[in-house]
Amino acid sequence: MMALLHKEMLLTWRGRARVIGALTFAAATLLMFSFSAGADGRLLQRLAPGFLWLAILLASTLTLQASFDAETEDGALDGLILHSSPAAIFYAKALTNWLFLAALGLVLLPLIAALFDASLGRLDRLFAVLIAGTAGLAAPGTLYAALAGRSRAAGLLLPLLYFPLVVPALIAAVKASELGFFGDPMDQWSGWIKLLLAFCLIFWSLCGALSSAILEDG
Amino acid sequence: MSRERLALGFGLLGIALLGWGSYLGLFVAPPDRYMGDVQRIMYVHVPTAWLALVVFTLAFIYAVLFLVHRSWRWDALHEASLEIGVLFTGLLCIQGALWGKPTWGVYWAWDPRLTTVAVMLLSFTGILSLRHFLDDPLRRASWSAATTILASANVPVVYYSVRWWNSLHQLQSTPKTVNSSMVEPLRINAFGLLFLTIALIMARSWIAESRRRKAMAPPLAKESS
Amino acid sequence: MSGMIQGGWEFVWAAYGITFTTLSLYCFSLWMRLRADKNEP
Repeated sequence: MMALLHKEMLLTWRGRARVIGALTFAAATLLMFSFSAGADGRLLQRLAPGFLWLAILLASTLTLQASFDAETEDGALDGLILHSSPAAIFYAKALTNWLFLAALGLVLLPLIAALFDASLGRLDRLFAVLIAGTAGLAAPGTLYAALAGRSRAAGLLLPLLYFPLVVPALIAAVKASELGFFGDPMDQWSGWIKLLLAFCLIFWSLCGALSSAILEDG
Repeated sequence: MSRERLALGFGLLGIALLGWGSYLGLFVAPPDRYMGDVQRIMYVHVPTAWLALVVFTLAFIYAVLFLVHRSWRWDALHEASLEIGVLFTGLLCIQGALWGKPTWGVYWAWDPRLTTVAVMLLSFTGILSLRHFLDDPLRRASWSAATTILASANVPVVYYSVRWWNSLHQLQSTPKTVNSSMVEPLRINAFGLLFLTIALIMARSWIAESRRRKAMAPPLAKESS
Repeated sequence: MSGMIQGGWEFVWAAYGITFTTLSLYCFSLWMRLRADKNEP
């Protein structure tokens, strides 16, 4: 497991150009969102938490797809399966994707604060939401990248399957970020975080359990 | 031959009941005190909603059965219930919009039930297109079974998160508050649609089964027969 | 009868029409697909 994790991290590090590309893509979507919402500064400020998560979600479809490229290109997955369990392969990739998405979110956070004049009111809470929210995206995203990447329409199928599944994670992450940015008079933050953690618990375990059905067959 | 007769029987029985129930609902049942004639949409809308849920529950059960037993029978039934479930949720959204416009004033509201149905429609349509883009029958069967299990596990989570997100929901009418002459067409239509659904799932699973056989048959054996 | 929505039959007919037209078309397509399967086993 540690060796697998090391391999994944190394691959991500070697593909640094892709990391910079994903970051640029996320920043570009932020710009496009603002143009689509108009030049009303107060409206943009209110929409900032949603924009943050949409940027992460859209950029994640690009990076998730790449996470199985190294194996699918030369059929190395079959060899890997012989040495380690599908669940270990899945968790190594999902952890790497999670770390990467959390890092992407951390970079976007000051950008959002500057672009939309959103004060980073409760930085501890915003960090917690970023970590929990990107965990919620990473597990189903990694599993769906594994199937979409080996079908005839990878770019189409990944968002088609992954977007509807992460609806609850997106709702909870946006709500909790809103409360982190703009204050929490009704004390609802912990409720949304609990929902996010429940989502993570369900899908990290379920995706791990189903990974053998997806990585072993065919 | 007998299974085809059985499906045909179920289908005709279902169509007859649907005709009778809709006749009662459209022309015999009294108009609702508040919603007037528009309320007649309920006699087709509520059975569609029930059956859509039943069919997606079946899809989940067939997906689990396939992963446990690895029998093609469950895969064929899984494919059938996915397609029919998508058909029913699609109809459900259209009927709901047509009922919502005259009563709420809008075609769509971000109510938890509506939003959950929309997410279900998207998830299961995605699984159908996943099946379409996979050529190997074994991959298609086990991958779509896994995604069906994930999408089904998501349904209650979506429902509760949307309810919390938009805590604005309307009352659900219970049978006690509904007049008995309104219950009758509802029941008849529900049973009619149930029988029709049984026939549709049977027929659709035979199609899935014969396609799978053709895909897996060795090309040489096909030429010699 | 105050507060009762008047009319609205066009919505009722549209809902029933779309539902039963779609169901009939689906039944028909299943029938055709089954026949096509039988003709080339």
